[in-house]
Amino acid sequence: MLRFITVRLAHAAAIVFLVATLTFFLLHLAPGDPFTTFSETTLISPEVVEQQRRNFGLDQPLYVQYARYLGNLVQGDLGYSFREHRPAAAAIASRIPATLTLAAAALVIAFGLGILMGAVQAARPGSRTDDALSVAALGLYSMPVFWLGVMFLMLFGVKLGWLPVGGIVDEAIYSYLSPLRRLANRLEHLVLPAMTLGLVGAAVVARYQRAELLDVVHQDFMRTARAKGLSRTAVFVRHGLRNALLPIVTLFGLFFPLLLSGAVLVETVFAWPGMGKLAVDAINGRDYFVVTGIAIVAAAMVVLGNLIADLLYRVVDPRTRGES
Amino acid sequence: MNRMTVLLSFATAFLVACMPDAGCPDRWCGTAVVATAAEADVLLPVATTQDVGYAIGDLIFLKLADVGPEMNTVDPETFEPRLASSWEFEDERTIVFTLDPNAKWHDGVPVTAEDVVFTFDVYRDPVVASASRPRVLEIESVAARGDGAVEFRFDHAYPEMLFDAVYHMRILPSHLLDTVPHADISSSPLGRNPVGNGPYRFVRWDAGQSIELVADPDFHLGRPGIRRIIWRFVGDPNTAVAQMLAGEVDLLQTLSPEAQEQVEARDDLRAVMWTPPIYYLFVQFNMLDADGTSRPHPLFRERAVREAIAMAVDREAVVNAVFPQGVVGRGPMAPVQWVWHGEYEQIPFDTAAARARLAEQGWSDSDGDGLLDRDGQPFSFNLLLPSSSVSRRRAGEIMQAQLRRIGVELTITAIEFNAFRERAAAHRFDTYFGGYGGDPSPTTIAEVWETGAPANHGSYSSAEVDRLIGEARAATDLAAVRAAWYGVVTLINDDVPAIWMYTGSPIAGVSTRFENVSIRSDNFAATLWQWRVPASRLIDRDRITDAQN
Repeated sequence: MLRFITVRLAHAAAIVFLVATLTFFLLHLAPGDPFTTFSETTLISPEVVEQQRRNFGLDQPLYVQYARYLGNLVQGDLGYSFREHRPAAAAIASRIPATLTLAAAALVIAFGLGILMGAVQAARPGSRTDDALSVAALGLYSMPVFWLGVMFLMLFGVKLGWLPVGGIVDEAIYSYLSPLRRLANRLEHLVLPAMTLGLVGAAVVARYQRAELLDVVHQDFMRTARAKGLSRTAVFVRHGLRNALLPIVTLFGLFFPLLLSGAVLVETVFAWPGMGKLAVDAINGRDYFVVTGIAIVAAAMVVLGNLIADLLYRVVDPRTRGES
Repeated sequence: MNRMTVLLSFATAFLVACMPDAGCPDRWCGTAVVATAAEADVLLPVATTQDVGYAIGDLIFLKLADVGPEMNTVDPETFEPRLASSWEFEDERTIVFTLDPNAKWHDGVPVTAEDVVFTFDVYRDPVVASASRPRVLEIESVAARGDGAVEFRFDHAYPEMLFDAVYHMRILPSHLLDTVPHADISSSPLGRNPVGNGPYRFVRWDAGQSIELVADPDFHLGRPGIRRIIWRFVGDPNTAVAQMLAGEVDLLQTLSPEAQEQVEARDDLRAVMWTPPIYYLFVQFNMLDADGTSRPHPLFRERAVREAIAMAVDREAVVNAVFPQGVVGRGPMAPVQWVWHGEYEQIPFDTAAARARLAEQGWSDSDGDGLLDRDGQPFSFNLLLPSSSVSRRRAGEIMQAQLRRIGVELTITAIEFNAFRERAAAHRFDTYFGGYGGDPSPTTIAEVWETGAPANHGSYSSAEVDRLIGEARAATDLAAVRAAWYGVVTLINDDVPAIWMYTGSPIAGVSTRFENVSIRSDNFAATLWQWRVPASRLIDRDRITDAQN
């Protein structure tokens, strides 16, 4: 197990390094730089722009900038945010909790609802309920996540007025609420973005779960359990569902990229102050080191998610423990 | 009523119950929630480069004085006191400002002449690389006269001396920054936790989310009308509009034409134009070949061709279609600038004359395909514009249809903003749809139309225009300056280096709860501290009165 983890961590480090390098060069090849993205209608004199480039070493050849960046990176320094005038690590760190909160809530919805939907479908395959849920899952899966977000926002936020229209809290009142009321305020703001991100994920999970359950219910051990006198529901839940959950663990690892890419859109639509929204602002403002830093953090999260999924799989499925 | 509705009703009732008690002690309250697409970069005025950074910063840090509502840059009588209570011209090159003795920093320290001297040093230092530095270079020196007065000395006399002395610099706290090396000022912690001298104090900044300010009850120019201002950074403009329609936002910085219609259809909201119009938009002809070489442009080297294209564009129709509140352009200027007037000769919309001009230059439809051609080459050119600008895209499409009527093909390249800026700056275009403005001084004309000027992307060059710009800069009396700038505009218009499409300002969305509302076009939040919420229009968030002050 230790060797397995060590090898996977070495792979992870190589992937993160490649992502950092690729992002660094792609960004520098894109038009503009952090000091030419100011308002079009107001002149920043070329001398001022040149001075700013000198101040931050952007006047150096690209290979020099890259070498300096790598040198700083191995010391844990992600660079400087030209937009926020503070270390890029501080800018990114301030946004990670919001993204993790959203991702966690979306994961709960995706897996909770997806497993439930899949189980209901597999319990009575071919029934009207199964058909209706299949159509619903396919519909959700086909919807662009930003479109779904905008629709939720307009319906539940503007039209019905049931939920807030974006943001992470109501800043106008939040600081003056009791801790319990603050929690309620946060949850209220979390509902729509988490539903948007989670429902699309639930559609994927439901389709996997249904297929897996339908495979499992025809296995011999299911018949044996039924022959022993267990009720149909007990057999389905205790033996069927538990065994059908194994592939879902793999899906858990694959979900991280989906959540992070979805978060870029959902955070933008819902004004959610996470890494996704920061990434969009930083790309538009050519805030090089923030974009590269986010790419590194995202790559690390994806790699780590997959590693956790693999480890979980080895824990829940003893057959895989002998594989290196 | 289904279960979901019941649950949500309970949740709503619960949240309403969470609101602080109603009531507004001593009739001073009010909360304005302002939404902007972009987040401020930093709140230190010398370091910011974002419009929203200036907007918020200007509520925290004051200038010595400011232009009045008309934004006249040459009439000292129209300027309004801020940190300085008065000023006088001691001689033709020296202005002495007397500081308001009641002006204080938000930590209680008085604002002194030392702060002003320090501020000038910082703005002027090339290492700081302040965007405003080029605009204070005419100031030779700033010196303290005791704690309460400060002397500005200029290297030559000119009518905009007072404007340059006060407009570009917000006074910085020397007692908090004088130990910070100038190179590190922009990254100083004060930039994200400022201590200012303006109507509002900084309370908190939640990254990516919001900034909260609270009114300074001891503000030396009088207590601000609104007690709290929350700046919310929404990112997506459609979400910002949705928040306004849902009543969560009171002031939205800019509205698209569609959003303006939605806002105007509501009783609780209204659309307010930033005044006076400060931007002008133009389609500039490239005088050089679009391949980036110094060869003359094959089409636009001829003035007659440029004039014909300008004649074929019905600018009135364009303005009515894309920017109804705008005004057809009259030259390289905006109505806010005193150089703007109605006497400049304009190129008329006249398609017959346009065709005739082009025929004189040898353009005809020799192959009957509906397009003019000459020496086997069809009359076709490209218009470069930023894809993010809906109004410019629409205006470009209307131009395309109008030019087609005289047999000219216009293709449009709409690209991402940074790519647009880079291509324009590299002169790689036939024509480009640009915009300029943001400053009430006509000296900004030179920033685009002087030979070799940084924003002169079309490489327009006129020795006579350059000479007159030099005259305008050197002239000491207002009459000579006026004559020179009027001459500059007349000459540029006569050369037709561009089609002056329209001028205008953004439209903001504002809750009708507020009164005394005006929005200044150089900074949409400049007058926010003078807005009020009458007692009869207070809502729950207005009644929060225990804000930190």
